Amino acid sequence: MSDSTVYVIDDDQAVRDSLGMLLRSMGIPSRLFDSAQAFLDAYDENWHGCVLLDIRMPGMSGMELHRQLVDMHASMPVIFVTGHGDVPMAVEALRNGAFDFIQKPYRDQELLDRINQALSWDESHRSEENRKRALQQRYDTLTPRECEVMECVVRGLANKVIAMDLELSQRTVEIHRARVMEKMGARSLADLVRMALLIEEPD
Amino acid sequence: MSSIPKPGVNTAAPEIESAADVSAFDAAEFDALLDAAVDGIVISDARGTILRVNQATEDLFGYTEAELVGQRIDMIMTRPDARAHGRYIRNYLNTGKRRIIGIGREVDAKRKDGTVFPVSLSIGEARVHDRLHFVGLIRDLTVQKRAEEEALRQRALMNHASRLTTMGEMAAALAHELNQPLAAISNYTSAGKRLLDQDSAVAQDDLRKALQEIGMQAHRAGEIIQRIRDFARSRTGEHELVAVDEMITEILPLARMDTKANHVDFRILVEDDLPSIMADRIQIQQVLLNLIRNGVDSMQDLAETGRRLDLRAWLDEKQVRISITDRGCGVSAAAAAHLFTPFFTTKESGMGMGLAICRSIIAAHGGTLDFFNNPVAGATFFVALPVSEP
Repeated sequence: MSDSTVYVIDDDQAVRDSLGMLLRSMGIPSRLFDSAQAFLDAYDENWHGCVLLDIRMPGMSGMELHRQLVDMHASMPVIFVTGHGDVPMAVEALRNGAFDFIQKPYRDQELLDRINQALSWDESHRSEENRKRALQQRYDTLTPRECEVMECVVRGLANKVIAMDLELSQRTVEIHRARVMEKMGARSLADLVRMALLIEEPD
Repeated sequence: MSSIPKPGVNTAAPEIESAADVSAFDAAEFDALLDAAVDGIVISDARGTILRVNQATEDLFGYTEAELVGQRIDMIMTRPDARAHGRYIRNYLNTGKRRIIGIGREVDAKRKDGTVFPVSLSIGEARVHDRLHFVGLIRDLTVQKRAEEEALRQRALMNHASRLTTMGEMAAALAHELNQPLAAISNYTSAGKRLLDQDSAVAQDDLRKALQEIGMQAHRAGEIIQRIRDFARSRTGEHELVAVDEMITEILPLARMDTKANHVDFRILVEDDLPSIMADRIQIQQVLLNLIRNGVDSMQDLAETGRRLDLRAWLDEKQVRISITDRGCGVSAAAAAHLFTPFFTTKESGMGMGLAICRSIIAAHGGTLDFFNNPVAGATFFVALPVSEP
């Protein structure tokens, strides 16, 4: 996606600036921050791409920022940049849900590969998120009765059984069912079941 | 132990009739007293001939009473202490000036098997039939000394460990710092390679900037390395007045762990009354330990009987000199040229920083560190440090 951005957070001006130039030379947009706090102050939940985060920084450390992002349910993948002795810390970061880490000194291709993986992960994650959000919006347009009918349909109940359960005529059930399919934009029963699963799935 | 009966004092015993009886009674009591004593008791005449010893003395020294009586007391002392003891006694007899009589003093005692152990010696005197006798009380200090030495060794170890930790932390911090310009240089270079293929004005600008930044970051890396070199030199805050003999004594437990483990005969000769120096005590101790370590290492290929290391300290005009002489392989002409250069090492597992750091520490103290090959075998490394101006 064209507006995917790499958010670089590093206290060292030269490292930050050189990363910006390297990403620019690769055609990847970036935004640079000199501290974890500066990033948090500017942070917008609509940002997408990935975060390239120095693990060791004065003030708020990379680890601490990551913890805060996790608490905020920020979904952007985080790649830690670590020094020689920081591997145990990086492993802990992975356990806390970091996307990956890369150890200094690194080759540019290594960095590029990890960034691309993070960006595509974010994109697919985000498209899934978007799809989920769209489905939820459609689902919200269903009447309470239609919701009941949809629930029965995806449980695999036949129209006749649904009619008895909900004390409706079979014909009315058929009408509701057609409305559900139409409103949800489902092409088949299988399609509707997949949608139902997606809506039920927790974030 | 407070009231040893003296002949003629015991007048409050009416049932005892003759002087012979009094002395017989006193002798039995005196025998019991002697043998009940935990400390060794040795009675000698004025010339130092042993007249009596108690059971504790036999246990302490491994001689029977029969082996000791009639011998000179030198037999149970080390030679330097025996000589000093002889001087003290002669001095006392001639002048009446007390140097040890009635005053406890620590000396080295010698067992029958030749082993030496520390004792506290106190001496009392008695006139018997107009002749002067000495009564020596000997308390074994082995356990007490061992505890003191252990405390000292622990302290030395802790000092050593804390300094190593500081060095380790410094190394980690500097490594992290050095990583920054290197990472930046690497990024700029990678960007530069990509920009070369991009034919735009923006790319050209970036490329120019990348090259400029690479230069600056290389310079920055050089400055960090300079700071590592200055590290030893710049630590001037901890200089204090240091007594040279104490400073050397403190490292001996640690040094001996090394020499003993490698079967090295380690001898120390420190001149009396050396003046003090202004120094960072621990840094100088690190240098000495380093030189001792090197000396021990240099004798690895030698038969155990030939391994000997000498530490000497003496005053040479306005300088305190400390030398460490080994009997090892000496310094080859090829090695001599680079000996004090960082990262030069003749050891398989060496970093090559030891002598380079040692020399910069000594230089920071206004002194010199150098070496020469001994005429026969091995090398002598010597440190010269200026005596502190009063």
